[in-house]
Amino acid sequence: MNEQKLRTIFAESLGIEESRVTEDLTYNSIPEWDSIAHMALISEIDDQFDTMLDTEDVLEMSTFAKAKEILAKYDVQF
Amino acid sequence: MSFHNIVVSEKIAVITEEKQYTYKELNEMVQQFKFSSDDKKLVLLLCKNKIEMLSAYLSALNNHHAVMLISADTNAELLISIVNEYKPYWIVGTYSFDGYRQVGLIQERVSSSNTPIHKDLAILLSTSGTTGSQKFVRLSYENIQSNAEAIVEYLNIDENERAIMNLPMSYSYGLSIINSHLQAKASILLTDESVMSKIFWQFVQEQQATSIAGVPFTYQMLQRIGFLKMDLPHLKTLTQAGGRLNEKLVKIFAQYAKEQNKRFFVMYGQTEASPRMSYIPSERVVEKAGSIGIAIPGGDLSIDAETGELIYKGSNVMMGYASCLADLEKGDEMNGILHTGDTATSDQDDYFIITGRMKRFIKLFGLRINLDEVEKKLESEVHTLIACTGNDDKLMIAIDKEQYITKVQDVVEQYYKLHRTAYKVIVLDAIPRFASGKIDYVTLKERCI
Repeated sequence: MNEQKLRTIFAESLGIEESRVTEDLTYNSIPEWDSIAHMALISEIDDQFDTMLDTEDVLEMSTFAKAKEILAKYDVQF
Repeated sequence: MSFHNIVVSEKIAVITEEKQYTYKELNEMVQQFKFSSDDKKLVLLLCKNKIEMLSAYLSALNNHHAVMLISADTNAELLISIVNEYKPYWIVGTYSFDGYRQVGLIQERVSSSNTPIHKDLAILLSTSGTTGSQKFVRLSYENIQSNAEAIVEYLNIDENERAIMNLPMSYSYGLSIINSHLQAKASILLTDESVMSKIFWQFVQEQQATSIAGVPFTYQMLQRIGFLKMDLPHLKTLTQAGGRLNEKLVKIFAQYAKEQNKRFFVMYGQTEASPRMSYIPSERVVEKAGSIGIAIPGGDLSIDAETGELIYKGSNVMMGYASCLADLEKGDEMNGILHTGDTATSDQDDYFIITGRMKRFIKLFGLRINLDEVEKKLESEVHTLIACTGNDDKLMIAIDKEQYITKVQDVVEQYYKLHRTAYKVIVLDAIPRFASGKIDYVTLKERCI
């Protein structure tokens, strides 16, 4: 369920179809995932999972798979 | 001596993620771009923050041509229309155009045009980045040189500085970082990475960047990623321009700078002024938060008694605008006087405070968005009544028919490449109008925001 929730957040923050949100979707590899979208993505994740991601985690969250890994540290189950 | 005349030395000029270049090596790179011609030509650069692009820029200036700088991310349709209109003789960039042949690193126009270009013209910059029109600001050699010198003076840039270039070189603020640091014989750290990426911060740490620049959105990002808690002993100077940074953030960064023994400069400018016009001396940024400070060395700010408009005078004021090829022949039309379009007041210390804007535009991510132009463009694409308003956080687009929402969103995202958090489409029962039939933008703004 959280996986789907995160996928929707990605799709909406980057403004792309959910089908394009794959495990290895990478920051800066598509024009839609730029710094502006990343900022939106982070605040949407913080809002919806009730987290406050650390510096390191904000900068490390460079793929969809990595995002799940990071959120697991904040007790979000996948 | 101009900033673009390189004095060959073993000092580091440019550092990229791959390599370091001394001033001698940079000069060799510059020599590779041979823009040789008997008459003055237009060079178009499709910019990325890369050593090749910087070298092409410097070579074009050294050969006294005119250089148009556009972001490599500009949409293809707009690029083609700009090339068709201005007919640059040389193009540097990865996109290939019809009617050009590749000669080494440069694309050269097959059929040469003989439109004369004014001898003083150095640079053509768009005021609206990738979202823009075909309108450019014409800057002279004197404009950019005098602004580079003024910036070196008030920021006190010396040859030990290592500035990270995290703004595009096609953007006037980014370009001024290059010009001023070359003027000071300092070093430039070239990157296309943003403060949101890990690679960026590794680069800052490893190469010991001494200064960082940002538009208001950069400072929002810096705050979110926990910049204030990072350990950056080499970083000594932070500069901010490209729109109004909210006072709360100004104070947060001013306080941080004070505690960490760093300097934080809030600055004001416009591409039309090459671009810098004013700054708050860093030691007064806490008490003067909310102001745009004082005029740069050699410049003068005043307020028009009748209209309240902020007027700037200085040798960095552009020659004028260009909206077609024939305009490149024009000389100086401004006489060093710029009507900023902003209204302002001044305090007892002659610090200026912006109070509003006379023209209908907003600034998003440091770039100007002309609301009337957006309206026109959207109406021509969507074929329904559109009225735009907004502030420097968001563009608001009002329509009166719900069925057009998606179509409007599509055009905005495609053409202006705006992120969906940066604009909003609002459906109103009716667009507010005056009895004359003209749109009532004051009421519209109240309803939308």
